[in-house]
Amino acid sequence: MMKRRLRSSISTTWQTAVIVVAALLLGALFIAFAGESPLECYGVMLEGALGSMSRISEIMIKMVPLMIMALGVSIAFRAKLWNIGAEGQMIVGAITSAVVGLYIPLPPWLHMIIAPIFGMIGGALWAMIAGWLRVRFNANEVITTMMLNYVALYLLAYMVYGPMQEPGGYNYPQSSSMAESIQLTPLGAGLRVNTSVFVAIGVLILIILFWRSRFGFTVDLLGHGTKITNYAGLNANRTIIWTMMLSGALSGLVGWIEVYGVHFRLLEGIGAGFGDLAVVITLLGKMSPIGILFASFFISALLVGGATMQRMTAIPYSIVDIIQGLVIVLLITQPMIQQKLQARKARGIYVE
Amino acid sequence: MESIAVEMRDITKIFGHKAANDHVNFTLRRGTIHGLLGENGAGKTTLMNILYGLYKPEGGDIFLKGERVDIQSPEKAISLGIGMVHQHFMLANPLTVTENIMAGNFRKRQILLRKDQFRREVLELAERYKMKVDPDSYIWQNSVGEQQRIEILSVLFQDIDILILDEPTAVLTPSETDELFITLRELVDDGKSIVMITHKLDEILQVADEVTVLRDGKNVGCRKIDETVTKRDLSSMMIGYDIDLDLQSTHECTGDCIALSVKDLTVKNDKGLIALDHISFDIKEGEILGLAGVDGNGQKELCEALTGLRPVEAGQIYVKGDDFTGKNSKDFINAGVSFVPEDRRDVGLALDWNIANNLIIKEYGTDAFSSRGLLLRNKIKSHAKEMIERFDIRAIGEDALVKDLSGGNQQKVILARELNGLPSVLIANQPTRGVDINATMNIRREIIESSNNGTAVLLVSADLEEIIQVSDRIAVIYDGKIMGILPGRSSVAEIGPLMLGERMQRHDETASA
Repeated sequence: MMKRRLRSSISTTWQTAVIVVAALLLGALFIAFAGESPLECYGVMLEGALGSMSRISEIMIKMVPLMIMALGVSIAFRAKLWNIGAEGQMIVGAITSAVVGLYIPLPPWLHMIIAPIFGMIGGALWAMIAGWLRVRFNANEVITTMMLNYVALYLLAYMVYGPMQEPGGYNYPQSSSMAESIQLTPLGAGLRVNTSVFVAIGVLILIILFWRSRFGFTVDLLGHGTKITNYAGLNANRTIIWTMMLSGALSGLVGWIEVYGVHFRLLEGIGAGFGDLAVVITLLGKMSPIGILFASFFISALLVGGATMQRMTAIPYSIVDIIQGLVIVLLITQPMIQQKLQARKARGIYVE
Repeated sequence: MESIAVEMRDITKIFGHKAANDHVNFTLRRGTIHGLLGENGAGKTTLMNILYGLYKPEGGDIFLKGERVDIQSPEKAISLGIGMVHQHFMLANPLTVTENIMAGNFRKRQILLRKDQFRREVLELAERYKMKVDPDSYIWQNSVGEQQRIEILSVLFQDIDILILDEPTAVLTPSETDELFITLRELVDDGKSIVMITHKLDEILQVADEVTVLRDGKNVGCRKIDETVTKRDLSSMMIGYDIDLDLQSTHECTGDCIALSVKDLTVKNDKGLIALDHISFDIKEGEILGLAGVDGNGQKELCEALTGLRPVEAGQIYVKGDDFTGKNSKDFINAGVSFVPEDRRDVGLALDWNIANNLIIKEYGTDAFSSRGLLLRNKIKSHAKEMIERFDIRAIGEDALVKDLSGGNQQKVILARELNGLPSVLIANQPTRGVDINATMNIRREIIESSNNGTAVLLVSADLEEIIQVSDRIAVIYDGKIMGILPGRSSVAEIGPLMLGERMQRHDETASA
């Protein structure tokens, strides 16, 4: 059993690797087409991504939130609930956790427990709205979660221009900064990466265990349909709601990390397109925790390396967008290609 | 030569990596009814779809009246005088009978449609073949049996000589089947030739002149039907060896304890209309109550209500004497009420999941398969192995995806899950539909076996043969009402009229038999 489990996780990780390599190869074509040397370009990118401690630290800064959000998205996706509102859930989590730091005086140690919990509750409730609309009105969660992203964006704008704006500031759309005692501690002098890395590791382990637990089984069962879920003696509607909440809670937790570990305050633009990236990572990682670990590393390295490349060479940053786009195209076409290959392989093997 | 209508020689058709037809020869004589017999997946429909121009064969030739023809499309087939009635009708519900037949035939008529003329021709044709049809009624006003008649009429309108019928009796009541057979006889007497695809042995013996049997895509023989041909002969041709067709329920009702009791139950369907109208019955421990009836008369709603999946509007459900009205599906499962749903692909199974997981979807939360919240993979695996062994599920292993299994093996997965741990009540809705004859016998045997062990069984089936064979008592449902409860081994002639809505006299006395 253990062997088989290993084999199946290797095969999905392998799929992820194939897509990444194929995207990079196709990306090389585009780079050559633009008159640059692909080798040089990727060399600069690699150097830019992994060349120094501080760059690795930058990768971590991106990877921690992206991985946690993608793990959250994967919970909903495996239940066939297409929650693409991770960004909105993260924004609301950022707001609710910022409220704790700004307005509720607590001893720092207690604060470090309460603020992330508030973040998770914020994200969970935001996702719950979409879950409830689905259960009550059969509203498609793709639409509702996407719309709720905008609602969250404008709620954030209202907050940072309005009641939560920094008093006596220069009218920037941001809140006051958090007290140093409640910020996440950097892991080394001059590095931005902080203790949230341990949070991410903890979440990863928990999610791996989750898929081996009966709760994970329930979510997977829901992914096979509401009819069979009800038939198995579970309440599909209730399962939809708590699955969405769990999914949103992880994005809400990321809101806390961004406020207390990266920006040290609530500000407009805190979402930073993380929601869409999290969906790409979830799919690239084939919804498995280990796959998501690798996929989030790849995407983060691409982002950081691309930014350095833009600064150091004449090659435009758009290359990064092209590679990301290629990953998506390959993800979509992969099942068809795989089917063709399998059909060729399976000839002659038929079990009645 | 003149007496042969169609000859198909060496027909081969390959789907993916499997030969659906493997060098099949088939000869249809003029003016005969030719049964095409075989299990599901034997290649009967494929062969006829080739004759009708829907599929292009990889090899082989078709001869029509001795002449080689190339049939690339159904249009070509029709122009050659070949017509086909599929299992699923192609009628437009909001149109009348005449309009539907016009829609299927306007191409060769004048530009201006003359409805009155059409109507007259429809009536003439219907009368000629003794088919009762109201040309001005809308399709939705007609019963399934009548719709089939309309479909046949529509095909006959195309001046065809050869008529192919794909499982024509699957949707019919016994008396409708008899009417169909009368019509088929009329057609044959008129010089037409008919191919009837079926897997029912009785029908072949009843109506066919000749039979060709397919097995695994191969022609295993052709026989003239006369008195010497028996069901056993045909079934052994069909599956390749002898099986015992006379299944007997040998159990005795132990005790007089009532396991399931339904009192004045009223339930609505998905559209909010009354699906069950004050129905009542009891099932004792170890007893099999067969519920006969044409599909769609409330059977699905009854099964769902009895498993907590559908709300009860009025009345009560008692399981082993306890009131379960309004309880949810979990409560029913915990009380030992098992359910084999009609729709196994959507409700009863997770097709994209493996056998092991499918076997535990009702039990994974129990101590048997999880501890401190985490699933016990080894126990799940060994449980699956045990079930595969015990229920003879044919698969490459417990990791095989359920969608890769045949219909019969899929159903065995459900039965393995539902019969494991001796349920107190089993609700089985169409447990053998779409399953081959061998698996059918096994499934019936399992159901009888469980009743021998004390399970009270409600067996819902549209297949009267099955109901009569297995049940201790037979209830008949029509339009959401129980028309009567008959003793076991009642005949088709006794059950048939009730299925059409004739209420039985003195049903109280027989009910307590």
